[in-house]
Amino acid sequence: MRKNERECPELTDRELIGRGVKGDEVALGVLVRRHQAAAYRVALSLMQGDDMARDVVQDSFLKAFRALDRFRGDASFRTWLLTITANEARGALRRQARRNETAFEEAGVVRSEKMAPDETALVALEADRARTMMENLPEKQRLSLSLRIEEGLSFREIGRVIGSSEGAARANYFHAIRRLRELMK
Amino acid sequence: MSSENCAIVRELIPEFVINRLGEDELGLVESHISDCFACREEFELVERIFASRPEVPGNLEESVTRVVIDDLKFSFYRWQWQALSAAAIAALALGIGISLDSPRNAAHNVPDFAYEVEEGDIWLTDDALVAGAPSFDNLSDETLADLIEELSVVTSGGTA
Repeated sequence: MRKNERECPELTDRELIGRGVKGDEVALGVLVRRHQAAAYRVALSLMQGDDMARDVVQDSFLKAFRALDRFRGDASFRTWLLTITANEARGALRRQARRNETAFEEAGVVRSEKMAPDETALVALEADRARTMMENLPEKQRLSLSLRIEEGLSFREIGRVIGSSEGAARANYFHAIRRLRELMK
Repeated sequence: MSSENCAIVRELIPEFVINRLGEDELGLVESHISDCFACREEFELVERIFASRPEVPGNLEESVTRVVIDDLKFSFYRWQWQALSAAAIAALALGIGISLDSPRNAAHNVPDFAYEVEEGDIWLTDDALVAGAPSFDNLSDETLADLIEELSVVTSGGTA
């Protein structure tokens, strides 16, 4: 267990936020530790470029922590943070598009070039193939898959993040599953 | 295999993959996907997606934490600086207000024609007054007579 977790054992996000608002650096560190991976994967599923995704995660945490005293708790902190992250990623993509740069597209290709010498690696290769297919899905379908499978969010939470209803989030997820099953055959 | 069970199981597959199901649901999904080809195929797809999820860079947590803590400290110092500036401005404004209110300074700032004229002064040249305006206050009869004589010489164009 890391130092931060020892100093804030078993505290809920809400309790950590309460401390964070008062300037408790340790509490903020624990919140970063708990949610940085999910934020990174959401950013990466939208941008497909490590450096940009890192910047987006950093900016999202900054934005969330600066507004921490205004966090109403309607959704969980994680859902709130991931919504900010998705918005930040879209903003970064718009800025990127304005500059007509497309370097972020290369990252997805690199991930699918791994060699597979044995059966385990074959499974990994299939997984990489699924990932590559997933990256070609429309944004909301891709994000719904990522949030449901990688982060375990409910469809209601996914709806908040992608800016849709619970039903639309469910439809996006199952559309994506059906599309991937077709592509993987 | 009932389509109703398929619908339930397909909803649960992500939780099954990330091992978040309770005992009852776990049993339901396990037994269902062993018999239902379509649901097993979907389970394998979801498992592949989960297995290929991107690795998070090892130093991400450290760099994000450093940035947010620095920002927090900067915000605190900025707040402190703003509070100090506000206090300084308030003190300055208060000081100026008191200063302007003092009677001594009021005389300097508000032109007042209750100007003390020394005995014998005729032409007042203080900027607060109209330059060159004569003052007849407190003039002795002798001085006044001299002034009248002087003025009559000037207006008639002659010399004394």
